[in-house]
Amino acid sequence: MNRIGIATVVTGLLGSLLLLFLAAPIVQLVGSSGADGLQRLGSDLALRDALLLTAATATAATLLGVLSGTPIAYLLARREFPGRAVISALLDLPLLIPHPVAGMALLLLLGRDSAVGSAALDLGLRIVGTPLGIVAAMLFVSAPLFVSGAREAFVRVDARYEGVARTLGDPPWRAFRRVTLPLAGRGLVASAVVMWARAVSEFGAVVILTYNPKTVSVLSYDRFTGFGLSEALPVAAALVLLALVPLVLLRALRAGEPRT
Amino acid sequence: MITLESARASKGRFTLDGISLHLASGQYGVVIGPAGSGKTTLLELIAGLVPLRGGRLLLEGVEAQHRPVEARQVGLVYQHAYLFPHLSVRENIAYAGAAADLQQELIARFALSPLLGRAVESLSGGERQLVALVRTLARRPRMLLLDEPFSALDPGRRTRVRREVRALHREWGLSTLQVTHDFTEAGLLGDVAMLLDAGRLLQSGPPTELFRRPANAFVAEFLGAENVFAGTAKALGDGTFEFVTGGLTLHAVGEFANGPAHAVLRAEEITLARDQGHDSARNRFSGRIVDIEPHGAVARVTVDVRGVAIVAALTARSAQDLALAPGLAVVLSFKAMAVHLC
Repeated sequence: MNRIGIATVVTGLLGSLLLLFLAAPIVQLVGSSGADGLQRLGSDLALRDALLLTAATATAATLLGVLSGTPIAYLLARREFPGRAVISALLDLPLLIPHPVAGMALLLLLGRDSAVGSAALDLGLRIVGTPLGIVAAMLFVSAPLFVSGAREAFVRVDARYEGVARTLGDPPWRAFRRVTLPLAGRGLVASAVVMWARAVSEFGAVVILTYNPKTVSVLSYDRFTGFGLSEALPVAAALVLLALVPLVLLRALRAGEPRT
Repeated sequence: MITLESARASKGRFTLDGISLHLASGQYGVVIGPAGSGKTTLLELIAGLVPLRGGRLLLEGVEAQHRPVEARQVGLVYQHAYLFPHLSVRENIAYAGAAADLQQELIARFALSPLLGRAVESLSGGERQLVALVRTLARRPRMLLLDEPFSALDPGRRTRVRREVRALHREWGLSTLQVTHDFTEAGLLGDVAMLLDAGRLLQSGPPTELFRRPANAFVAEFLGAENVFAGTAKALGDGTFEFVTGGLTLHAVGEFANGPAHAVLRAEEITLARDQGHDSARNRFSGRIVDIEPHGAVARVTVDVRGVAIVAALTARSAQDLALAPGLAVVLSFKAMAVHLC
């Protein structure tokens, strides 16, 4: 066997081991408890409510992330400006800190004793301990994933397409809408899907900001500590199945990605 | 009308600097220069896609520095076309919302009908360039910037498209600036030629002027002058010069200062004979043929004259009639006016 052959075999073997390590627990979890989890959706009201709450808050967080993250992702992809590196580092920061720490930091910022929290209370908005807290926690930990993906999506679209659109009479915003957005569209949707999936599975920050009402991840932890593994498994399996939906969507999107 | 006065612009680490040029209304300018000399950046500067960092830019006589790209009435066609891949060929052409009859006219003139129903991804490089050209023309710009727009077309189609563009340029009174690597194209199309290198404009003027009277040795060599010699010029007082290079002394005319210089001599200015003749040429040298390089109907003959290689061009038929062959002794002659000092 030549050297290339040996290298291929070693690479394949190592890759297979990693894949097995990553996939086996999830496949086992869904295989053993997935059907049970789906069945319980009919009878387990707490699980059903948690699923709906998780999907709704993750969707709200994703919408906020897309609305606020798209302009900054575009700027980072297209423009050179002072402080660009600092902004990039700040956007990556939530990905680097432990999520319970993120939860504590948010609690400091949004708690009732903080300036923001008390101002929100004055407006009749309670954040901590409500779905708003869940949205805030999800947004904090998952928005950086969207911004990073969206920035890449914009970078992949050659700026000269926009330039040509401008010379053909489009003001900047119209060139963005007619050319950049359609060309980066799949990448943006894919980034939003990744953000949504990350938001759905968030536990550490959510549990500190809002223990009740419970998201699926908090509910599975609650069942595990209160009733043991057997009660927690169907809930965990339902969470994995929920997270699989965007994963399948993502693969379908990437399969048809146009070349720019 | 396009005017740049000491213009400066940067794109990444590249800088265009001290660019001054003037293209009158309805003129056809060609920009030539080595790869990376700033030709595309120059067009993008005029279009407004690269900001002006210094100097002035006037379009149709009006300061344009702060005018938005879309308001400049400048059309830009890139070498790589940049057709919008999410739109069909027809949608690309209609992008600027031009009148249907103008679109139809252009589609007919450039014979694009067979492409209309096709996806952009299925087009060849040349077809893409044509669609991009028509897409830009459909907006009916007043100034047209072309970045090697015919480079991917086959020779036959290139000639037809070049003719059509030149005709539209005349009919519409377009001020056109075209980047090209093709010196023949530059000579055929351009009223004005500009040579860029490393972000600076080295010379501009009528194409024949650039070819015949290059500003320096770099321009001469870039424009394909076969004989560029380094040496020393010395005025003889009657408007003529002696130029010494290696073992040769050439005679030249013109206005020049004494001292180090370059002499440029185009191969087609040289007459080659088997024996000494009698004519008015001030420069006459005996030498021996080193190499004969056929180029279609033309042959380039390299002759060693006292250790200096001089290239002469003559028709392949003449070379055949003279029975030229390597090692043969020949006589080269050329007029003093054919020697350009720079």
